[in-house]
Amino acid sequence: MKKLIVILMLCCSSIAAGAAESKLENIQVETSVQAVERGADALMNTCHSCHSLKYITYHDLVKFGMDKKKVDDWRGDQPLDTAVTSQLSDETAIQSYGKVPPDLSLMTKAREGGANYVYTYLIGYYITPEGMTSNHVFPETKMPDMMGISGATDPAQRAEIQTKARDIVSFLAWAADPHEEERHKLGYYVIGYLLVLTTLLFFVKNQIWSRLK
Amino acid sequence: MNNRIIKWIDQRFPLSSFVKHDLTEYPTPRNLSYWWNFGFLAGFVLMLQVATGIFLAMHYKADVTLSFDSIQHIMRDVNYGWLLRFMHATGASAFFLVIYIHMARTLYYGSYRAPRELMWWTGQGLLLMLMATAFMGYLLPWGQMSFWGATVITNLFRATPFFGEQVVIWLRGDYGVGDATLTRFFSLHYLLPFLIIGGVLVHLVALHTVKSSNPSGIDLAAKDNIPFHPYFTIKDLYGLGIFLIVYCIFVFFLPNSLMEPANNIPANPMQTPTHIVPEWYFLPFYAILRSVPNLVGGVVAMGLSVMVFSFMPYLDRSRIPGGARYRPWYRAMFYLFAVDMVVLGYVGYTPPSDQSIVMGKIATFFYFAMFVLLPFISRKEEQWLIRRGLPSDVKALVASEAKEKIKLPDQRRSGDIK
Repeated sequence: MKKLIVILMLCCSSIAAGAAESKLENIQVETSVQAVERGADALMNTCHSCHSLKYITYHDLVKFGMDKKKVDDWRGDQPLDTAVTSQLSDETAIQSYGKVPPDLSLMTKAREGGANYVYTYLIGYYITPEGMTSNHVFPETKMPDMMGISGATDPAQRAEIQTKARDIVSFLAWAADPHEEERHKLGYYVIGYLLVLTTLLFFVKNQIWSRLK
Repeated sequence: MNNRIIKWIDQRFPLSSFVKHDLTEYPTPRNLSYWWNFGFLAGFVLMLQVATGIFLAMHYKADVTLSFDSIQHIMRDVNYGWLLRFMHATGASAFFLVIYIHMARTLYYGSYRAPRELMWWTGQGLLLMLMATAFMGYLLPWGQMSFWGATVITNLFRATPFFGEQVVIWLRGDYGVGDATLTRFFSLHYLLPFLIIGGVLVHLVALHTVKSSNPSGIDLAAKDNIPFHPYFTIKDLYGLGIFLIVYCIFVFFLPNSLMEPANNIPANPMQTPTHIVPEWYFLPFYAILRSVPNLVGGVVAMGLSVMVFSFMPYLDRSRIPGGARYRPWYRAMFYLFAVDMVVLGYVGYTPPSDQSIVMGKIATFFYFAMFVLLPFISRKEEQWLIRRGLPSDVKALVASEAKEKIKLPDQRRSGDIK
């Protein structure tokens, strides 16, 4: 019987473990407002011309604690509660790239490997021997190497691009799961409460059962 | 005052006698282990799913153009919507985990044997309804895996003789999975849990007629039965505490580990995901489906793999009490079967390769071979055990518990010992 439980547990965890592919780089996603804001800044300059985040409004960014002036810069003359959508129309996108660039709101949740996948993808561009740009993680990608990592040979420059990519991924991880921090915080309280309650129930159970001869 | 109200009610409704018969004086074997907690836990998870589901339905929109967005609205804007949704999604996995353990306990201790066949069969019906509910609920977020999972499974009904094509269209309400499918799945996903509650009541009425089985496999004499309340109410509550801790770890810290990443991409009928996988609780059955090369054969094998458990009271020909506890051969089969389930689960999860296909075929064969061989093995095992003599502690137990047994016309299938 115990085996069965372990086995069922393994069944669940193997699904989770399957997400972590070996070839992906492991990164620590940052959750601080500063890092997420840096990421948003980088994303607005590098990605936003083509990609939308339709489930995030500029107001969400301010509520999260980002600099109001910066957010005002990004939104221009759009109202504060507008969704972060790109200026690229679907028709133009299909003409230029053959497809509509995917929405980024859930990107770190929508790929096997999550944030690690997106990071490894962003820094995975390289120049093939034929002189074409390709990507290690997603060779069929239609997206150009916006970060310029494929042409960067200087280690310092590469490191800078990697830092920028990590910031972008940190922002995307927040955008995909904005309540994560709140969830974890509440989780500690709930589980703490349950531990106390269960311990008490254990003693009450023993006390009641001790009435039996 | 209190007494007067209760008296007033009792004259009109059997309140006191119900509480007496089913709680304060309901005889329960005192030797029940913690494996007997899982029935109560299943009932609790059912209530949890109904409660969270009702609130989710207040914010959810069953419409192909709106449902994916409405889930994001719940996850982002609704107060504690993320909590409701993660509780409901994790609750589905918890439900299956609890039910599978509940079934494994029944199989291990032979609780399906006479006189508890109806409990086993109502339970089987409940499992089918649970599977249907989970399957239909999985379509509602309208993600890629929702859409393609529903497409693949409804497509299986093509195996229906003569009018397979029409049955598939009738189920979907359209030629493909679409708005009509989504709205009917939502409606049925809301309906079925209430039918399950009705089924649970039948399951409980049967239970309170035949009473709980126990690890010894022998009907215990009155001296070894204790009232359900307070002994088992508190034991169930303690078990519930442990369950909730595990459940909350998943809800608060690992909610995404049980979700397919592809389901965070809105459904796109023009683009098939590279690898369609069902939720973990369907994986072994999905592997059996894929292991049979022909569609009709696969569907029949999959249906049979779920339904074959119903035959257990007839397949198990042994009268040795205590299920696997005093039956070494049956115990070995139980564990081998559990391992086989895991192998099938793994095969169902990985994309088909030459190796996994062979593995799946062997495991599928093994799965059914177990049930086919059980009547012969259990009878041989019984003869062997009787020749060897029952262990002295079992004999002593049988002697001390000697009391009137439920008389059954066919003693052969009873778990009782003469």
